[in-house]
Amino acid sequence: MGIELQGAPISKPPRIDGRRLRSERTKQLIIEAFLSLLRDNSQMPTAVQIAERAGYSVRSIFERFPDLNALRVAATDYQLAQALALAPPRGADGNRETRLRSQVNTRAHTCERGVALWRVLLQFADQDPTGQLKQRIARARETTVGRIELMYRAELSTVPEDERRQLLIALEALTDMESWARMREQHGLSFDEACEVWIHAIDRLLPATSGCDGRGSLS
Amino acid sequence: MGDPVVDAPAASNGEKAPGKAPRIDGRRLRSERTRRLIVEAYMALVRENAQMPTAVQIAERAGYSVRSIFERFPDLTALRVAVTDHAIAEARASAALRDLDASRATRITSQVDQRAKTCERWLPLWRVLSADSSQSPDLHQRITVIRQLIIMRMEMMFKPELSAMADSDRRKIVLALESITTFESWARMRELYGLSVEEASTVWVRAIDRLLPAASS
Repeated sequence: MGIELQGAPISKPPRIDGRRLRSERTKQLIIEAFLSLLRDNSQMPTAVQIAERAGYSVRSIFERFPDLNALRVAATDYQLAQALALAPPRGADGNRETRLRSQVNTRAHTCERGVALWRVLLQFADQDPTGQLKQRIARARETTVGRIELMYRAELSTVPEDERRQLLIALEALTDMESWARMREQHGLSFDEACEVWIHAIDRLLPATSGCDGRGSLS
Repeated sequence: MGDPVVDAPAASNGEKAPGKAPRIDGRRLRSERTRRLIVEAYMALVRENAQMPTAVQIAERAGYSVRSIFERFPDLTALRVAVTDHAIAEARASAALRDLDASRATRITSQVDQRAKTCERWLPLWRVLSADSSQSPDLHQRITVIRQLIIMRMEMMFKPELSAMADSDRRKIVLALESITTFESWARMRELYGLSVEEASTVWVRAIDRLLPAASS
């Protein structure tokens, strides 16, 4: 789009829809209030609590989200996008130890931030008539497994297909959100101690590394 | 667990009266039986529907009134706690330690077989009981006990291997073994990945074998 002025087309700056911007910002603040309440209390907050934390009325919430399920879906999309943005694959070409530490560190931070929401998703997935929560759960799992495959390609490529699949399943179970939560909440491990458990175990589970870095296990 | 249902009458000096047969308190016996039937009805409904049953459903299945339930359990959380106690006792009775002195391969297979059977049998109940368990301290305590029992069993089954390790490494391996063999891990393999019991067991056997070090000589 543009207007003709003295023969040359001059592009018109895009018009900023202030009302829409404000509405988007309100949506984001509601989602952030929801996530922050979840982290504080580890249970599904009520609409009143969310409104109070966000500084809006309950009506404002339901003007933007038809129901709390829609808010859960939007919060999940927000958190998934944030997790991907905050944790791009790092050190994928590094040696075995670098990749192990990088993958565990990333996963640990994701679990630390996301376990409260993850529990809510699992709790409400069966009650969600739209199936959107189940889709998000599946997507989150695929992302996690995809990351494991990417980071440990040098090890996983050395074993036959069925063994590779079995290893992936075991690695997924080992680095599950609840596995992290158990170490932190039940066994009282610090962030670093819990990371060490995963690093040690993954190192034992993975076969020898193929290719040029020539490193076997850490121990 | 409940009090004994057979009471011996006490003599006036506080000692048992000799030669007198113990008096059976029939009302108490019936009440215990009702409790047990309510607990069993709850468990059967969870296995069938994989969700928490309502008081009406439990009463219907047990053949009692809803009032009967709440005469014996102050609320459904108390009933969940009683169901958990019953399940722990039943699971312990059916999961005796076997092959403790056998070879490494036999012990791994034996442990995985047992754990797989437990997961197959108790998964629906586990889901219902552990959901929201943090809201009830009694329930939370039972869930912790179940996890501790699972860990203790692994420590006994893999003692030759674990005792070969330094304390800090042993703890890491035990935590990893726990994570890999959870109910949720089993459920994912069976439901999400569509693995048979044998295939899922093989995943666990191989993972445990990789995690465990060589046994101490």
